[in-house]
Amino acid sequence: MATAIPSIACLGVIGRNNNPLHVAIFPSYDPVTNSFAPVRTPLQFSLLLSSTLDVFELRARHNAATGVGLSGDFGLLHAVDERLAAYGFETNTGTKFVVLVDMRGRRIDGAIAAGLVDIKEKRLGAVAVGLREGEMKPVFKAMQTAYVKLLQNPFFDPDEHAPPAGHGGKKITSRKFADDMRRIGETWTPGVTNL
Amino acid sequence: MDDYQAGSLDPNIPLLLTLGVSAGSIHEAKLGAALKDQAILIRSELPALDSDQAHALLGYIEDHDASQLPANGRDTSRRYRFRVKTAERSFLLPPRRARLPDGVESPHLSATLHSPFSPLSPVSPLYPDGLMDAQWILKHQDLVPSVLLCFYDLVSDPTLATLCDNRLKTDLNNLRGLLSQSGYKTRLAVVLFSDQDSHSVDSVQERLEAIRRACAIDAKSLFLAPSGESPDELERMAENMLTTLYGVAIEYFRDLGRHSRKKKARGVVPQPTVSPTSGTSQTLSLAGWNVRYDFKSAMFAEYRLELGNALLSFEQAYENLLGPELLEAIPSWSPRWNEARFLADVIAVRCLRCLLWNGQHSAAARRWQSHRDRIAEFVDRRGRGISNYGWKAWEARWAIVMANLIERTAIPDFTPATMNLYLQPEKNVMGERLQPWELLHHTGYWYHLAAKHLSARRNLAHAMSEDDRRPPSSSPASHVANKAFTYDTYMCPDPHDEYPLNGAGGVDHSRMIVDCLKRARSEFLKRHQFRFAAELSLECAKELALVRDWKRVVELLRSLWRDMSFRSEGWLAIAEDLSWALRSAAAAVGDADLVIAIDWELLGQNFTRRTNWHYDITRSLEGIAPKFKPSVHIEHGELLPFVSPSFVFRDEEGKAGQSTRGQLAIKSNAQQGSAPVVLKSIEIEFSGSVGRVVLQHQAGAATEPRKHGSVALSAVSLTDAAKDGAISEVENLDESNRKLTLHGNANLTLLPGQTTVFGVDIPLREAGETRAVALKLGFESEAFDLQQSLYFGSGINSSNLWYISTSSTKRVARAIPLSVRVLPRPPKLKIKAPAWKDQYYNDEPIQLEFGIVNDEADGALAKLDVDLFGEDTPVFSIEVVGQGAGDALPSSTVVNDESKLRGVSLGTIESSKALTVRLNVPPIERSNRYDLTMRVTYHLSTAPGTPILQTALLQLNVVNPFEANYDLLPRVHPDPWPSMFDYDGVNGLSGGDDDGNDGSSGSGNAAHAASTTLTNMSHKGISQAWCLVTRYASFASEDLRVVDVDIRVQTARTVRCFHTKQLGVLPPADEDRGRGRLIRPRTIVEAAFDIDARKSTLDGRSPSTLDVSFVIKWTRCHPDTSSSEVVVNTTTLPVPRFTLFGTEPRVLASVSHIPPNPPSLNKDNSSTRTPQLAVLHLIIENASAHFLTFGVSMEPSDEFAFSGPKQTTLNLLPVSRRSVTYRLLPLPRPPPPTPTPTTPSTNKALPPTPATPGGGAGGTWIKPGLVVRDKYFQKVLRVIPTEGMKLDKDGGVLIWIPPDEEEGETRSGEKVEAAE
Repeated sequence: MATAIPSIACLGVIGRNNNPLHVAIFPSYDPVTNSFAPVRTPLQFSLLLSSTLDVFELRARHNAATGVGLSGDFGLLHAVDERLAAYGFETNTGTKFVVLVDMRGRRIDGAIAAGLVDIKEKRLGAVAVGLREGEMKPVFKAMQTAYVKLLQNPFFDPDEHAPPAGHGGKKITSRKFADDMRRIGETWTPGVTNL
Repeated sequence: MDDYQAGSLDPNIPLLLTLGVSAGSIHEAKLGAALKDQAILIRSELPALDSDQAHALLGYIEDHDASQLPANGRDTSRRYRFRVKTAERSFLLPPRRARLPDGVESPHLSATLHSPFSPLSPVSPLYPDGLMDAQWILKHQDLVPSVLLCFYDLVSDPTLATLCDNRLKTDLNNLRGLLSQSGYKTRLAVVLFSDQDSHSVDSVQERLEAIRRACAIDAKSLFLAPSGESPDELERMAENMLTTLYGVAIEYFRDLGRHSRKKKARGVVPQPTVSPTSGTSQTLSLAGWNVRYDFKSAMFAEYRLELGNALLSFEQAYENLLGPELLEAIPSWSPRWNEARFLADVIAVRCLRCLLWNGQHSAAARRWQSHRDRIAEFVDRRGRGISNYGWKAWEARWAIVMANLIERTAIPDFTPATMNLYLQPEKNVMGERLQPWELLHHTGYWYHLAAKHLSARRNLAHAMSEDDRRPPSSSPASHVANKAFTYDTYMCPDPHDEYPLNGAGGVDHSRMIVDCLKRARSEFLKRHQFRFAAELSLECAKELALVRDWKRVVELLRSLWRDMSFRSEGWLAIAEDLSWALRSAAAAVGDADLVIAIDWELLGQNFTRRTNWHYDITRSLEGIAPKFKPSVHIEHGELLPFVSPSFVFRDEEGKAGQSTRGQLAIKSNAQQGSAPVVLKSIEIEFSGSVGRVVLQHQAGAATEPRKHGSVALSAVSLTDAAKDGAISEVENLDESNRKLTLHGNANLTLLPGQTTVFGVDIPLREAGETRAVALKLGFESEAFDLQQSLYFGSGINSSNLWYISTSSTKRVARAIPLSVRVLPRPPKLKIKAPAWKDQYYNDEPIQLEFGIVNDEADGALAKLDVDLFGEDTPVFSIEVVGQGAGDALPSSTVVNDESKLRGVSLGTIESSKALTVRLNVPPIERSNRYDLTMRVTYHLSTAPGTPILQTALLQLNVVNPFEANYDLLPRVHPDPWPSMFDYDGVNGLSGGDDDGNDGSSGSGNAAHAASTTLTNMSHKGISQAWCLVTRYASFASEDLRVVDVDIRVQTARTVRCFHTKQLGVLPPADEDRGRGRLIRPRTIVEAAFDIDARKSTLDGRSPSTLDVSFVIKWTRCHPDTSSSEVVVNTTTLPVPRFTLFGTEPRVLASVSHIPPNPPSLNKDNSSTRTPQLAVLHLIIENASAHFLTFGVSMEPSDEFAFSGPKQTTLNLLPVSRRSVTYRLLPLPRPPPPTPTPTTPSTNKALPPTPATPGGGAGGTWIKPGLVVRDKYFQKVLRVIPTEGMKLDKDGGVLIWIPPDEEEGETRSGEKVEAAE
């Protein structure tokens, strides 16, 4: 059980109709084989992303009842197990960004070099590094920026991807957007403030 | 949690044992056989109580057993917590000191005996080097009560009281002795049931005191329950008692805790009773003893609910246990290794419970993880590794333990109503870098985690080699030994039991997994995490599919599959996974409907293609043999159909009775390479009047589709089913309900990826909006039927392409190409108004004739509605020419300026026939403008359901044909005025012949004259003559013939008035057109009337008014109808009111001409012919009651010579008139250039006569300088001209002198003659 730090396992963009717009999957470090591989199958990631919609709905209901949560950051949605946790963000047009974090997705060596993990935590050894509240904010910000860039494309019709009165919608096919997602998912590590 | 030994993980609650009441469940100490025969029997000699009171109290105590209470520190309402056990008469206590084993001879006599639960005693399984086991925990939880509560009766009968008390004392002392003998410090408490009520209890106080002293019982431990108390009081008493006893129990455990701390502080390793001789003969080290002591004091602290202290001690024990001297030192093959692991687990669980109790949820989650990580590290390093089923089993168990702990804690923030998925971290760790999992999640997540570990365990178990799975009996010994080092069997079976080679028995992994998943699922469902729950259902189903429990798979997934959000929200990968899982189960169960529906859906290429799958819907039921031929109906939206239909009308508008073109395009999105789907029928449903279009499959249809690329286009001709045969039954239906069903044949084969387009001609029947609504695809094979309903208009139908040919399309640029607006059928029935005139006139009955011509091909049954709209609309009636004229004609009703007539039946108008309708409008008095709307509603005999409307809008102008203006000119009344002084002469006056006067007013015919005379006789007032000149003009647009004109006079009663028509008003009757005068439009015609007015009495001096109306009787020149009679219309024009008989004096001038050469006047000038003379009469009327004097002067002029007074004075009596006469001889002069006949229209005073031809040719006007002056007022009176005279600009009077050579003509004479 190597000491590990969190990394992004999957980024999901979900449309207003709860329809998947884009899913990017990232490999995690597997200490057994000493290689990088996604921790779940695409289908399982789909299921994980879809299950976050429950939480979005719960939060939306709760926020509506209590009148809080004006900012779209939903923070931690839930932790699926001790390794994977889902963080969520909802834009004011109902598009949702979900980040699935693998709490042990990276080896610690690189992180020590980056000075992100202090001595105390290193001493804890097997205990993996946690996350602070708000450490996902740069990710959401970057995702939103990428999404806004996508929306600025005059050939991108948001209604096609989430029909105002209907179900489903097309997926995002923009390669630029996919590249952005890939970049965000690969470059994020805990403590990164700008993506 | 149940995997651990009984009691080992239970929360520690003080045990309260009751003695002396018979109860249902009797406490039976669970002692091992070895301990049982050494057990100490505690026995009460007195009989057990059986009173209601005792039972009630016992029941209350038992009800308040705290062993199942939530282990939650927030519940502070409970002042005591007891685990309650009941013994009737006796119970066993485990021996305090273990006996020496039989076979062992004590090496030295001083050997100390220890507790049988201690590793020091050879009896204990821990002997010689074990740490701690569940037995010890159980001892305090179950075996040794902290409080022994004895129930006794307190007899009040004085004769028996002493005896009973003594017996009681004896028994209690006996019990005390036994307890102290046993070595346990169990506290003794007594409750006495008095048979007296609470008022007399004071008397027994002494007895109680005696008993207490005799038995050396603590004052706090003796309770009295008086009899006859209400349940409330009993309850209160019990509460107090239990609270007090709880304090006693706490004290008990405090003593125990102190004891174990003392032992730890001693710091020596106690020697076992007998030194171990077997094995390594190793004894428990000091560290081990410290773990024991720490554990014990932690346990006792837990009993006391001092969980903070307990946590500290537990943690200390835990650290020591996992320290280098203990767990590190124990060899992993030793059973002590597992025992130590067990103890570590127990301590960790108890730590977790302490943390949860204190509300440190994140710390608990962290503690849970750290224990898992530490043990994993140990097992990996020193044990058998973590990649075997044993470790996974432990991991699963560890997750379940956490779930159970959370359940037992019953955290209020975790009730499903709060909808919390996880708890916020407590304050002290808030800012730290927390793992997301350290925020405590609800139990669903933990069960889910356990299920994952269980399935990993199963995978690892299944990965074991066959050699390992052999039972030890049938495998070589070396292998058995090897196996023992490979597999971790801590709390789980050996490999051959885990997954036996022969497949029989073994661990039912699936059941465990499904169990966990179900528990997790229920938790997720409680918190509305439906998608997560669906995911778990899917996992569960897959698990069940592994064990081929197909029925439960179908049960689980069927409803999920029906309404899963994954499909509607576009998570197709999930939907697909679920569909395949359900399909295989449904196929195995034989649920054909489900299989067909799933196959139908999975045909779509949205789903990933599964290799080696046939993708042929007809082969769907292969291997399934349903009892009946299945018929599946799939509603719209239930599935994701692989076809996307669209319908386009080519035109936006169409007309009823015509047909419009539409195209149905069905795109098949089936998997490439799948078998073509041959539909049986396609049914298109329309809203509006178009009913349905049914296309039937016909392989060799008449028109084979043209194909090009991925488009197949075919035109389908439709036939009306009703026409073909089913007319009779259709006709029975209500007309409006009858909907058209059109049939057509086409090739309905859908190839994957191909768009199949059907062009249809759709006849439009009724006006309105028609829209393609739905589509039904019917599929039929030998094995099953399938029907798929689809709606147009939702998102799938976004393509509005019109296929011109297979290769070219055009976009139909309409908002809703699905619908066509049907305009009403253009009516061919015509409404004609051939004799319509621009104008109709007032006072004329109007007949309007309309021709209704049927240009339709069929006869039309028609109804007529007529609306007349305008101000003061008249009531009209309608007559259908040639139809039952005898009946009363239907007439209209007038509502709010609208005259309506509805539903006049016109009967059937045959084709190309006409019908005449006449509208009779009564004469209208005022000119107006009306809107006439004729609306014919009809339907053809061939299409009775289709009403057709024809409307004609006409404007009816009703104008006044004539207008007139009026002048009332004064004349000299020929009759003399009656004299005030001649009473009798009044009659005589009127009798005189008045022919000589030129006043001209005489009555026309004799009868009239007679009446005049009569009235004159009755009316004796002054009289006046007037002439009313009217000029009427025709405002009609055509020639009109005036038949007669007349006036109607109305005066006050004091005035009698006659009028006569002057000659020349109307020409004599025309020879061709009958009488009357033809008046062209815009011409003015004059008519004059003489009016003779006389007052009834002489006294009446007030002026009176004259109301006159002018009546014109006229006809049209060209009568519309050929009917012989000419309708004479009468138009009455009102004339403004005139005033007669003013009181002011007035001067009238009249002139008469003496023709030349009158022999009587020709005396002085005989040589030549005498010149023409004009006689000017100046008449001054004094209608007032005053005597007036006037001066009259005549100035000489060079125009004429005159005879008569040049200057004179006239005196007029009241109501009298006098006249002065001048004879004028005009001097011959060249005619002055004066505008001779200043046009009659401008010259107001001019009588009509000078306008006659020749009148003004040679004559002249002369102006006598005549002045009449009122002497008294010195006011010049205006001279009013009468006939043959006029006023000039200055107000002077001009006299017309006819030309010389003209023969004398006297108008007055003519007039008299002309009067009829």
